[in-house]
Amino acid sequence: MAESTAQANQFAPLETTEAVQTISRPSLSYWQDAWIRLKANGRAIFSLYLVIGLVGFTLAGPVIWNVDPAAQDVDQISLPPGAARVVTLVPESSSWAGGSATGSGLHFAEPPTTQHVRLAWDAVPAAAEYRVYRTTYSIGPERALGLPLFETTETYFEDLLDLRPRNYFYSVVPIDTTGQEMDTFETIEGTLERVITESEARDRGLLLPGETAPMGTTYTLKWHPLGTDYLGRDMLARLMHGARVSLFIGFLAPILYVLFGVVYGSTAGFIGGATDQVLMRFADFVVALPFLLFMILFKVVFAVGPGESGIMPMLLAMVLLLWPATARLVRGQILQIREEGYISASRLLGAGTGYLVLRHMIPNTMGVILVTITFAVPSAIFTEAFLSFIGMGVAPPTPSWGSMCNEGIKTMLTTPHELIFPALFISITVLAFNLLGDGLRDALDARMRNRE
Amino acid sequence: MAEAQPTEDAFARSAGRQLLLLGLAAVAFLIVLMLALQALASMVGSSNTSAQALDPATNTITIALREEPPQLNTTITTDAVSGIVLGHTMEGLLRMSMDDRLEPAIAHSWEVKPTHATFWLRDNARWSDGSPITAADFVFAWKTALDPANASQYAFLLFHIRNGEAINKGELPTSELGVRTPDPHTLIVELERPIAFFDKMVTFPTYLPVQEKFYLQTDGRFGADAEELLYSGPFNITSWVHGASLMLEKNPNYWDHERIRLDRINFGYITSDATATLNFFKDDKIAYTTLEAENLDNALENRWQIKREQDGTVFYIEFNHRDTRVTRNWNLRRAMQLSLDMDELVYKVTKKPGYIPGRSLFPGWLMGVNDYLRKEYPAPEQVIDFEAAQQHLELAKQELGVTEIPEIVLLTGDNPVSNIQSEWVQATLKKRLGLDIKIDKQIFKQRLAKMTTGEFDMVLAGWGPDYDDPLTFGDLFASWNLNNRGQYDSPEMDSYIRQAQNSVVPEERMAAFGAIQQLIYDDIVILPQYERGVTYVVHPELAGVKRRVIGSEVDFTNAYIVGGGD
Repeated sequence: MAESTAQANQFAPLETTEAVQTISRPSLSYWQDAWIRLKANGRAIFSLYLVIGLVGFTLAGPVIWNVDPAAQDVDQISLPPGAARVVTLVPESSSWAGGSATGSGLHFAEPPTTQHVRLAWDAVPAAAEYRVYRTTYSIGPERALGLPLFETTETYFEDLLDLRPRNYFYSVVPIDTTGQEMDTFETIEGTLERVITESEARDRGLLLPGETAPMGTTYTLKWHPLGTDYLGRDMLARLMHGARVSLFIGFLAPILYVLFGVVYGSTAGFIGGATDQVLMRFADFVVALPFLLFMILFKVVFAVGPGESGIMPMLLAMVLLLWPATARLVRGQILQIREEGYISASRLLGAGTGYLVLRHMIPNTMGVILVTITFAVPSAIFTEAFLSFIGMGVAPPTPSWGSMCNEGIKTMLTTPHELIFPALFISITVLAFNLLGDGLRDALDARMRNRE
Repeated sequence: MAEAQPTEDAFARSAGRQLLLLGLAAVAFLIVLMLALQALASMVGSSNTSAQALDPATNTITIALREEPPQLNTTITTDAVSGIVLGHTMEGLLRMSMDDRLEPAIAHSWEVKPTHATFWLRDNARWSDGSPITAADFVFAWKTALDPANASQYAFLLFHIRNGEAINKGELPTSELGVRTPDPHTLIVELERPIAFFDKMVTFPTYLPVQEKFYLQTDGRFGADAEELLYSGPFNITSWVHGASLMLEKNPNYWDHERIRLDRINFGYITSDATATLNFFKDDKIAYTTLEAENLDNALENRWQIKREQDGTVFYIEFNHRDTRVTRNWNLRRAMQLSLDMDELVYKVTKKPGYIPGRSLFPGWLMGVNDYLRKEYPAPEQVIDFEAAQQHLELAKQELGVTEIPEIVLLTGDNPVSNIQSEWVQATLKKRLGLDIKIDKQIFKQRLAKMTTGEFDMVLAGWGPDYDDPLTFGDLFASWNLNNRGQYDSPEMDSYIRQAQNSVVPEERMAAFGAIQQLIYDDIVILPQYERGVTYVVHPELAGVKRRVIGSEVDFTNAYIVGGGD
């Protein structure tokens, strides 16, 4: 038997070839993968665009729409969007003591305008006084003359109260010496013309200093795309400036308290044992503290005086009281990760605490943290709106969405736009952040990573 | 994946069905709960839910009250709602007639002399339990109100009676009060100093009688409940469901009961919600309601007969005249006076119907010698001049030695009207004068506290009349008046006020008020903003309703249902 031994020449190096295993898809990091899955979620992406748009609205908006949110225009109070804005120049109003008997019966002594309505009528022999009524509805058989404006012993009257460019019915009822209204009355109908005086035009920059214009010139008043509020302030500008407050609180508060919660929770979770017990019981204690009470307390303690913004105490109260939820969440996560096999492996291979925390712990809790933040943002915005709504937030004239709602709700029936716009902005913002948070939670969930 | 689709769909469908069922069950449960609660509520509560605005069958009217009266103890009461209830259930020595003149009530005649006033009481005046009302009941009531132990806020109204102030300060025992009762139906009141309008004062609730025997028997609960009161007026309270309703029934023992045509007044609702009361009125549940500006259009559309009245109160911006405040500077105040156009505020900003732009501390309804005070002594006209205002502002800065006026604190109430006004003042002064105004919004009590301690530069304040004489406004800025919160102190003002207080000659007194009015304008003690008005609607079949400036703000004692059983 010939001995068979391996000869060196029997071996030859394997030819270098391409990799046996080819990776059929590009290697994706955690974040790239999350981003792809987020992109697939239409709602989340739409919300993301909304949030970006909102930030743009807040930061770039006031630059583009450069209107002072505190500037009042008493001639354009509570105007809905798209109200007519053409005005005619008229002479200054001078005090009027009747006269100009250019008609008989009840008549307008001058053409009625939004500046003033001047009525004159004939004396009724038996009358001791006259009562002037005004309404916007035609007078039916029930003799509903409308709003009593004034009682006068003269035979003229000047109406100045809240004149709008619309149709009015004025009635004059004589009152006899016993104070009873007589049966006879006269009614006149008139449509008021929207006018402006020279000084008012100068005030609003329609007439430049030194410039004069003939009476009867028409001007177009400043455009208010979303209308004006109860003091004639531009709603759009107020919403933009209000968004600053809302988003300031909305972003800063959650970032601060989530950050604190993360540090606190991971410390507790990582160290564990008695320290964990003590730290978490303290967190439980903080949960039990009532938020509103502390908010008021901080306002007092920090001597947030009258007429000063309550935003700082609000921020402080949020940061000091709302972190335990995050802390608990992160602690739970850390406790879980600590026992994972790869952590033990890492430890056996000599990884230090710092490495473990930075390389394994934090990246693995990142998803939870991000989701917490996105859900905390809308709740913070809502809290701010609520607190401003009950009058504990911003100081006038600074607007905030909540305080705008608070003002708007009082005139909800007559001028709904004052409530609807800020309410809409709050709703959209809160919804956008919630949907985005929802999408992020799905996208960042590591367990869903390989589900293709 | 492809096969999984149908099962997932089926799962989704069944889940959807379950969700739908759950939703329906929840809605059904809510409806049942609602009905059950309503049934429960109708069993527990009174019959208010079915109340009608007017019920001719029982001759009853139903009205809503703004708030529940805290208590109805006449010696310590201060609030307007208690005033309404007491105005219907109590009567004092004298009362105001339908055309706002004094008329005899428990006293059938009276006489006011510089040193004393005498009232002769009716023999047939009786309490609701049938016992006679005597002069001693008035004496007891006044002594109780003045007793420092009772701490009545309105005790000062009794200071016109000799020793009243000393008793209230605890310097004299209550027995030293200057009142005498020579017989049970004669009451002689010694006056501290001559006072021209003492007969008008006695219509005020603090002057109402209280029966000593009954008061002691209530053991400190006097006025706390329907049974803890004895009534001297047209109606008795027969039921008082706290927080819910008050029922008033005609008092058969009232001496003038023939005048009263209603059998019952049901204060069936207690709510301050303007929209709620408007809806009650619309649904024919209540016979009277006031209207807010935002409800006005609704009222016009419903073609109601709207009425308007002044409610008597004057609102103004009060300056702090203390040494430490910049508002002590006359030029600064003058600059503001020339910048703030109250016509604009009233007609364009607050837009409240019935409000009259302020020109004077004295409202238009006050009577002078023969005519309205404001006709005899017209208020100074309002002048608006922004350029002059600028000049005064520059002078103010020089006098104060500053380049910029420091931030000015505007103290204000915490209600919608105050909000609008304060923001208007803030924006106008910023725009016209470049002044920075800080708005300090406070609830009523806190605002009063801050006004008292002087923690403000300007305050939006108001003053309602306590009695029907210009002095109720006129003495506000006396250096000794505690309600002079800005501590305005001027010998000239004090001398006019003394003149008005000590004189009994109408011409002299009115001349003094005219001088006070002018001084307030010239020295800019305050900036009058407006006189408050009220618009209201009354059920078309209810007649004889009276709004009052002093006393019960709305008075149904002479009301009757048109065409109803009398």
